[in-house]
Amino acid sequence: MIRLVRELYQYRGLLLSLVQRELKARYRGSFLGFLWTFLNPTLHMLVYVLLFTVVMRQNIPNYPFFMFVGLLPWIWFSTSIGGGASAISDRRDLLTKVRFPAQVLPTTVVVTNLCNFVFSLPLMLGLGIAYGQWPTWHVVLFPAVLLVQLIFTLALTYILAAINVTFRDLQHIVGNLITLWFFASPVLYPFSTIQDENIRTLMTALNPMVTLMTSYQAMFYEHRLPEAGPLLVLAAVSVALLYGASSIFESRREEFAESI
Amino acid sequence: MQESKDAIILKDVVKSFRKRTIRGEYTTFKSELVRWLRGQRQSRDASLITALRGIDLTIPRGKTVGIIGRNGSGKSTLLKLITGIYTPTSGTLEINGRISALLDLGAGFHPDFSGRENILINGIILGMTRAEVRARMDEIIAFSELGEFIDEPVRTYSSGMYMRLAFAVATHVDPDILIIDEILAVGDEHFSKKSLAKMTEFKRQGKTIVLVTHDLSTVERWCDLAAWIDGGYVRRVGKPSEITTEYRQAISLAEAQSAAFTPPALTEGGGALPEVHAAVPEVEAAPPVRLTGLHLSTSEGGVERELSPEDRMEVLVDFTSEGTCEDVEFVVALKGADGQLLYGTSLRVEEPRQLPSSGRVRLVLERLSLLAGAYTLQVTARAAGGSATESRAFQVGATEPEQGVFRPAHRWVVESSSPSVASSQPTDVSPRLAGGGHR
Repeated sequence: MIRLVRELYQYRGLLLSLVQRELKARYRGSFLGFLWTFLNPTLHMLVYVLLFTVVMRQNIPNYPFFMFVGLLPWIWFSTSIGGGASAISDRRDLLTKVRFPAQVLPTTVVVTNLCNFVFSLPLMLGLGIAYGQWPTWHVVLFPAVLLVQLIFTLALTYILAAINVTFRDLQHIVGNLITLWFFASPVLYPFSTIQDENIRTLMTALNPMVTLMTSYQAMFYEHRLPEAGPLLVLAAVSVALLYGASSIFESRREEFAESI
Repeated sequence: MQESKDAIILKDVVKSFRKRTIRGEYTTFKSELVRWLRGQRQSRDASLITALRGIDLTIPRGKTVGIIGRNGSGKSTLLKLITGIYTPTSGTLEINGRISALLDLGAGFHPDFSGRENILINGIILGMTRAEVRARMDEIIAFSELGEFIDEPVRTYSSGMYMRLAFAVATHVDPDILIIDEILAVGDEHFSKKSLAKMTEFKRQGKTIVLVTHDLSTVERWCDLAAWIDGGYVRRVGKPSEITTEYRQAISLAEAQSAAFTPPALTEGGGALPEVHAAVPEVEAAPPVRLTGLHLSTSEGGVERELSPEDRMEVLVDFTSEGTCEDVEFVVALKGADGQLLYGTSLRVEEPRQLPSSGRVRLVLERLSLLAGAYTLQVTARAAGGSATESRAFQVGATEPEQGVFRPAHRWVVESSSPSVASSQPTDVSPRLAGGGHR
């Protein structure tokens, strides 16, 4: 794991340039350009708002803001593992021609989406202010939660990217599982709507995104500190997962150039 | 300490691939299922393909080494091992110095980005830092000769422009060891000359260059050493002219024997070309006649510089033979870059005479007559019981915009057909292309 991270640091110039390029390339040629960074999640949100405030009425105050708080980090997570799964297998042009550490590629995907997430934060805060929900001091823990999610997402992306090189079905499986995962995470609904205590505990244990989503909602929507216990456990699990992911990655990286 | 070391040392390097990766079949659920239903008769070992069977090769610092061999003999695999894209299945590999590999031009180019933006990203991918690329940006743009196109998206470029840009970036990485895979022929005549000049500069700076090419005359002209990879082994390492000669002979021998040109890696025993011992005299075998020296000289010295079509050239052949050598024959062959025979003659055919047992044969070409290009001059001394061959490469530069292979002695005359013109004398308008050839 240390080698993996050290190489990433050595090649930070490459990582930075690739991220910069991805960010620029995403909306290049489109008329609205960078505005899409804001428009995409907004339109995404409006669809769900329509569904849950008009069709299936929910009694949650400031529902659009509530949903936005969870939706933005969720988009970061889902686009990262969705794109990260094929990050290595799609870059045959680079990997078979130039020598550089392969982990740069999935990392680029995760960091690019992180940037998009950070760029759209002002939109979320603005929406909150529009509803009269000014951010409180509780948001100081935001970087910590962000870091936990970053480690967790990176670990998962490394595993998926490494396995997808030889087992291409994975990228399709991931694409479908993400939808299921989305509804199993409290993004569209508050976690408290699940009445049964046991089911809640089980979900928290099985789905790391529960802890992350409820933490974001606690800080921005409920104006309280996230629960420390589950977050610390998740932080430890994420680091352990990253350790496991790097050993899987290390053991398979020699095959990458030959298999893609 | 570092200076005296060899740049690249390969010891018994073996590289195998799983067959599925070569056939381009990936493990999918379906293929796994089908295999499982069939009872998995394929064992893992049976589907291994060995591209390199044991390579021992040392590349000295500061030398230009050409690697030749048939298609599929493992040259590119070897380069990918040296660059570190592949890891060897077994054996050791020692690299001393920063490597830059020009395996493919334009790695990571993004069609929607401008040339300038692509230079940055491509340079970083090739191993430069941001600051280094920025510092060399103007130099690279100037070299690529793209002018104001540099700020247009790369997708609007012609393929020549694309290659020029890519080549410009690739050659501005400042490596200790440069690995090149068959890319010197980029762009038009002018640009390929420029690329050659760039390579010469690399050579002069004492950089190690490893070059894979099928253009044998490039190897003869350029390289200090040649390595012939055949059937997954290093068949021979040595002087470029010797290696290429033997390689050509092996190819024609294989063609004569109508050997099947199958992909070597898939063939039993690696699909090596036939041995050519019969055709090439061994040094120990002591042929009855030996060539002790072959020099090409012009009025201005050797042939290291680019010659002019009007140059006078002398071919000096030093020989020794055992006893009388009435039957010794000297054959001179002048070949083009593609190995095609342009002119061939022999001393015995033109001027039969008694030869001394040792001495020098001089063939004087009053006027070279050849147009711009790369040429090889090959001298063969043949006697009953053996022969010896030597060859030299030389280059002729363009002085006039002419086409073809040779410049016959000629002059232009323009005559007016109208009698009313006062001067009805033929007007000689060509002192330029001096006829007769003695300039």
